[in-house]
Amino acid sequence: MSASTETPPPAKPHMNPYWAGFGLGLVLLSAFVVMGRGLGASGAFTTALATTVHAVAPAHAEGNAFYREYLGDGTTNPLKDWLVFEVLGVFVGGFLSGALANRLRLTIEKGPRISTLGRLVLAFLGGALMGIGAKLALGCTSGQALTGGALLNVGSWAFMLCVFGGAYGLAWFLRREWL
Amino acid sequence: MMAPFFKYGLFGDEVSLIVAFVTGIGFGFFLERAGFGNARLLAAQFYFRDLRVLKVMFTAIVTAMVGLFVLARIGLVDLSLVYLTPTFLVPQIVGGLILGAGFIVGGYCPGTSCVSAAIGRVDGMVFLAGMIGGLVGFAEIYPHIAAFAHSTPMGQLTLAQLFHIPYGVLVFAVVVMALGAFVAAEWAEMKIGGKQPDAGSLLAPTARLTPVRRFAVALLAIGLVAAFAGNPYRGPFARIDARQLALDAGSPADQVAAGQLADWLIAGRNDFLLVDVRDAAAFAQYHIPAALNVPLANLAADFASRNERIVVYGEGGTAAAQAWMLLRSLGYPAVHLLAGGLEEWKATVLFPKAPAADAPPIEQIEFARRSAMAKYFGGTPQCTGASAPTAPELPKLLPPPAAAPGATPVAQRKKKEGC
Repeated sequence: MSASTETPPPAKPHMNPYWAGFGLGLVLLSAFVVMGRGLGASGAFTTALATTVHAVAPAHAEGNAFYREYLGDGTTNPLKDWLVFEVLGVFVGGFLSGALANRLRLTIEKGPRISTLGRLVLAFLGGALMGIGAKLALGCTSGQALTGGALLNVGSWAFMLCVFGGAYGLAWFLRREWL
Repeated sequence: MMAPFFKYGLFGDEVSLIVAFVTGIGFGFFLERAGFGNARLLAAQFYFRDLRVLKVMFTAIVTAMVGLFVLARIGLVDLSLVYLTPTFLVPQIVGGLILGAGFIVGGYCPGTSCVSAAIGRVDGMVFLAGMIGGLVGFAEIYPHIAAFAHSTPMGQLTLAQLFHIPYGVLVFAVVVMALGAFVAAEWAEMKIGGKQPDAGSLLAPTARLTPVRRFAVALLAIGLVAAFAGNPYRGPFARIDARQLALDAGSPADQVAAGQLADWLIAGRNDFLLVDVRDAAAFAQYHIPAALNVPLANLAADFASRNERIVVYGEGGTAAAQAWMLLRSLGYPAVHLLAGGLEEWKATVLFPKAPAADAPPIEQIEFARRSAMAKYFGGTPQCTGASAPTAPELPKLLPPPAAAPGATPVAQRKKKEGC
């Protein structure tokens, strides 16, 4: 990177949410038309984790019904997986958009009333809850709410209402983290 | 044109990974454009300061839903082939609540945390680490909660089926509901968050038909048409290319010999689906290991993806030939017949006949190979000398969990769709 003394160019404002949603909807629609499936995120991390556990402790991974589902029968490399490649693309796409809008910055997003350590502990905790919830619900906000929402899937709509319900229900207790 | 392209076999698994990567780039790009790499902006949703989570999500849902309805209704997309995650109502409700808690505690969801980490947000990276920790924990407790995780199964079910409402009417209802939610959200931002609506909002203080308003009107109009447009699912009518079908019907490439099929099964090949088209009673009595029972009358029920290679068999040749024709006209491109059907399977694989004692050694060696194969599938080689007045007994089927030798190709495959 160039001289750090220069002030970075100001970040550009975010896109109008309706147009961003329209773009996202077209990406989702193209996945339906081309692949016959929607988007996802959490499944890629499960596949990566199952593969890692399998490499470190093969017997443990093969003995666990949850990991086995993401490992397959050994005839193909489990990492040659649609969601794994899609999530790699998500990182690239996010980076590109961030770069174009001058939003690449090594920083922490938090409200002014919480310490850095406090925010990071909560980020870790929230991530852990997310991992558990996503597996129990067979998908996350991408795989269930977005994809299943557009397909009028019963479980996805029940899930989506509960995500908003859970977050709104706890928002008051966490206001110091954000406001 | 036949879509979903992948399920009609227009490209294979390798190309699908490139599609995945490109799709992901689009996904990540618009998530970041929307501001979803910023946890504070995401959390603002839950304090009514900035409701862009709701706006982006529902605009995306409505766009994809309306687009898919139109493409399915005009016959470009076979909606029944778009993967629908099965519903397990109670675990999904509990999972949703946990995920919602994780959202407000951590500030992200799995997809948005990737974007946030990609633009350098440390909290996003820590969130990802936490998610992996959560997955490890989930894997360890999974054996104890597997029964709960699979409780209240409702199968692949749409709201249209659940409430017995025509699909198109529901599409219209969701469009109306989403637009109503957008107006309510902008009103809440104004009243609670103190945010003035800008030119890109529906409540912008102008009477002009702004681009965003035009978009809303277009969605409403298409939704209204959808309400009266009828069923988007492919009907029972198939369109066939008679000339191509006639050419293929005469070609021996669509036939699989019994010995060849046996070799595939012994080798554990799982790149094809073996389908028994006889009725359930005959299937229960005996079937080739790893076969799936889809009686002739049920073949039109989308039992497999269009890109699946399928080998069909019946008792003799007739039923399988009818199945071949039916599946080909339904758009399955790779359908094969077991030549001679189950009769041929019995004659060559299960009960091979020994050659005469003075036959050349090459035939004796071939018989030894076939004998081994017969034993593998539970049959018995037939000696020429011994008198065999009655038909040889068919091998007993093992109960399903202790699967017959060979392979159960479908069950062992890696989870391919869903999260």
